[in-house]
Amino acid sequence: MELLAQVLVGGVLLGGLYALMALGLALVWGVLNIVNLSHGALIMLGAYATYYLFTGTGLDPFAALPITAIVLFVIGWLIQRGILNLVIRGPMFNTLLITFGIEVILTYLAQLLFSADFRAINPPYAGNNFRVLGITIPLMQVLAFAIAIGLTVAMWLFLLHTRVGRGIRAASQNLVAARLYGVNPRSIYALTFGIGSALAGVAGGLYGTVSQINPYIGGPLTAKSFAIAIIGGLENPLGVIVGGLVLGIVESLTALYAGSTYRDVASFGVLILVLILRPTGLLGRTT
Amino acid sequence: MPGKEGLTLFFPEKMAERVLTPVETRAGSAKRTIVFVIVLIVVAALAALPWYGNSVLVQFGISVLLLATLAQGWNIIGGYTGYASFGNSVFYGLGAYGVAIAMVQFKLPFWIGMIAGLVLAVVFAAALGAAVLRLRGHYFAIATLALAFIMTAIVSNVEIAGSNIGLVLPLLKSDVLFYELALGLLVLATMTVWWLANSRFGLGLISIRENEEGAAVMGVNTTLYKTLAFMLSAAFTGLAGGIYAYYITFIDPVGVFDVGLNVKMIIMAVFGGPGTVLGPVVGALILSTISEVLATKVTSIASMFFGIVIVIAVVFMPRGIADVLRRAGRSPLRYFVDNVRTHRL
Amino acid sequence: MPRFLVFVAALAFSAAALAQDVTFGASVQLTGPVANTGRYYKDAYEFAIDKINAAGGVKVGSQQHKIALKLLDNQSDVNLSVRQYTQLLTQEKVNFLLGPFASNFVLADSSIAEKASVPMVQGGGASDEIYARGYKYIFGTLPAASDYFGSTIEALGKLNPAPKTVALLYADDSFDVSVAKGTRDLLKKAKLQLALDEKYSTNASDFSVLLSRIKSSNVDAVLVAGHETEVLNFIRQSKSLGVNPKFYSFTVGVPSADFRHALGKDANGASGMTAWLPSSTLKDKWFGDAEQFAKAYKAKFGYDPDYHAAAGVAAVEAFVNAIEAAGSLDPNKVRDALAKSNFESLYGKIAFNDKGQISLPQIVIQIQNDQVVEVYSDNKFEHKLVYPLPPWGQR
Repeated sequence: MELLAQVLVGGVLLGGLYALMALGLALVWGVLNIVNLSHGALIMLGAYATYYLFTGTGLDPFAALPITAIVLFVIGWLIQRGILNLVIRGPMFNTLLITFGIEVILTYLAQLLFSADFRAINPPYAGNNFRVLGITIPLMQVLAFAIAIGLTVAMWLFLLHTRVGRGIRAASQNLVAARLYGVNPRSIYALTFGIGSALAGVAGGLYGTVSQINPYIGGPLTAKSFAIAIIGGLENPLGVIVGGLVLGIVESLTALYAGSTYRDVASFGVLILVLILRPTGLLGRTT
Repeated sequence: MPGKEGLTLFFPEKMAERVLTPVETRAGSAKRTIVFVIVLIVVAALAALPWYGNSVLVQFGISVLLLATLAQGWNIIGGYTGYASFGNSVFYGLGAYGVAIAMVQFKLPFWIGMIAGLVLAVVFAAALGAAVLRLRGHYFAIATLALAFIMTAIVSNVEIAGSNIGLVLPLLKSDVLFYELALGLLVLATMTVWWLANSRFGLGLISIRENEEGAAVMGVNTTLYKTLAFMLSAAFTGLAGGIYAYYITFIDPVGVFDVGLNVKMIIMAVFGGPGTVLGPVVGALILSTISEVLATKVTSIASMFFGIVIVIAVVFMPRGIADVLRRAGRSPLRYFVDNVRTHRL
Repeated sequence: MPRFLVFVAALAFSAAALAQDVTFGASVQLTGPVANTGRYYKDAYEFAIDKINAAGGVKVGSQQHKIALKLLDNQSDVNLSVRQYTQLLTQEKVNFLLGPFASNFVLADSSIAEKASVPMVQGGGASDEIYARGYKYIFGTLPAASDYFGSTIEALGKLNPAPKTVALLYADDSFDVSVAKGTRDLLKKAKLQLALDEKYSTNASDFSVLLSRIKSSNVDAVLVAGHETEVLNFIRQSKSLGVNPKFYSFTVGVPSADFRHALGKDANGASGMTAWLPSSTLKDKWFGDAEQFAKAYKAKFGYDPDYHAAAGVAAVEAFVNAIEAAGSLDPNKVRDALAKSNFESLYGKIAFNDKGQISLPQIVIQIQNDQVVEVYSDNKFEHKLVYPLPPWGQR
């Protein structure tokens, strides 16, 4: 019983981080209708940015996160304005392919700049934990979880209650109507992609505090983000919290009862089930 | 529609064109004959390559021919039917395991393994198609992607497939055989696609790609058509996997259920021109040559360069080489600028 | 007249340069997910070849030849590595092959060597499958995977009080499954109870479930066969979940500088094994001894060499030794000479069994006070093993 509780807590904490990883992807997908295969690479860059801010300037990794977010915002903004904008009205394969190309480029730039060595963001308090009702709760995971949930909720409020947020939502519904409403699609798209990248960057910084960074961590994280975004749905940022938690818990329980090698079977199995059982609900947007 | 073949070897089909041009023009017929003869000569030259080329060329040939077959297989479901499958690497893996399991665990000859792999891949495609082909656009792509991850994990736990350790196949010291097999398979796949482009069945697939609801209204059994296309795609992909397994002599789940390979087939097909008969083959040849040369000459930055090639190609020639050949003839610069202009925001 | 002399000298010089080089070919991981270990082989091969060339090169019959290296980057892609080895043989016309890193690469690439009947000596793959195929042209300088934990389990048995229960975790790839298979037999022989036997996916990043199970089953010792990133995750998450087994040992990471760098203080207490430590008792024809080698290596590349680097150097030395013994560049003669190898090197005694694999004992090591310490070798303790491990705050 205690084991089960411990595993469930682990799954929930993991789920919070998953949610933040997927948030940027879901936002870009929902608004720009781009499935961004370079999302994981942006997470990776965010992790490196935080790492170098931490080791280079001695800044606390959590204090470095806003700077990471700004850096990644600029990178994302440039990618959208400079490259993605050129193909955004082309066939669907093409946005998929071009973001794959960007992923390859970013990964190898990272390898050239940062080498393939493993890095870890390891502040002195990284391994601390506290106990509640006989369950061990790791400090870093709790902090990461809190930031992830906080940011997701903040994003939700931003989209609902600010002028820019409403502009983004308008652009995701109908570009022509959004234009009439006075929204410039080019800047709103760049802004959205920038925000998506900034969120990926923060997720990367948090990932680096609980796991290792190297230039190749992006691919699997992109795949995981897909699963969460789809399970949670693209309509509402709070959906990714649901998706993240579902995935975190399902993976942990699978690892406990069926064995660790079945984790991916379970998480992607849930993804396929959701897709098959709710195709109309999920399909509304692309057709 | 027998006897009404258009210029389909290089050009994507548009249903309207097909229906509205019932009488074939004489110029078109002559051009078609020329293309046909050229293709015949190229195939003959390729078949004879082991006798005048060196063994590097044969090795490279095996790899390109298999990749081209994969791109061509993907072309059926992705290019013609418009369903961006990321699950083709699963068929490849099943084909490879069919051969490996038959040869290693049951000591059966290679060709029985090929049949086993083929059956595995096609049956899997049929079972799966019924479920995931209901999804469209990105959702289909992601469902099939998820499937590829799942299969890797499942096969890693299957005892008869050697679990994670993989299977070690007997060594056959005849690369020429593999080369000719791969060439034969590619020719077969390309002929099938050519037939497809000129058949009622293919027309149904294209109508699904262009407008699925419309196709259904016009009486196309879309579920059946899509599933058949998926199975056909799986057949060629699985056979290619089978040849690969015997050629490489060692397979493991991570190696043959490789999503990266699936991305590669898509890139090759899209680069060459999806929904055309020869586009994927040309795409595979050009991109493999580029990446092979880069991998040996500039070695470490080769893969970054590959990323740059993809980005540039998508920006400037979003409809593939086939479209460039067709339309860029007069003023190439304008063609590229126009592409950017129509697709940017 | 002097001008004429210069001319003659130049002619002589160019003739000497024309004396054909002996070329080694290799395709290793310089980019891609396993590049952080793959690059050790590039450094090792180049370092060894430079040193041997500086000493005059390799003597074939009566003639001295320089050694050249043709090295390609396989981008951590098995299929590309197979093509590159073929290319090295057929296009670049290399004389001999040096291996890539990792068992799954060696499994595929060794077929190329076998097909072409050109020997390959590799220091990157230890999986038992490599040598179970009856290939004649593959030689390996890493000891058998199935015995990686052999010396560790032996050492555990001599502790007082000896641990009773063990958890075995392993990644799901060829090498680590081989290790696990061998380890199970070893544990049975040592009468240690295997309380937890779990496989996990390669590149797993979340170990919280496995760690919780380790904690609740309260095992004494944990043995992990995996990859460096997983081991790093495992240790960091052990700390943050407060999981504190009395002993843990890892097949990878512990000897390498990268590992200690990433973990800092948390690396202390981690045990592992290595077939090689830079000891001055290991004499070498070219480098003097292993200690001098390690110093020179660090001066050149800026990091301490571990057994990967040493096994890579050993592969080069095995070839040079065999070529000189055969007195020929004929691949078959060199192959036969390799099979008869028996010489001392900075890596230890180089001799291959009839399957082509070296046999070396694994030295048990532990990180103590941020240093790699040799704990147990040749059936006896060299230093005290920290056991049981202190709580996390006190490492």
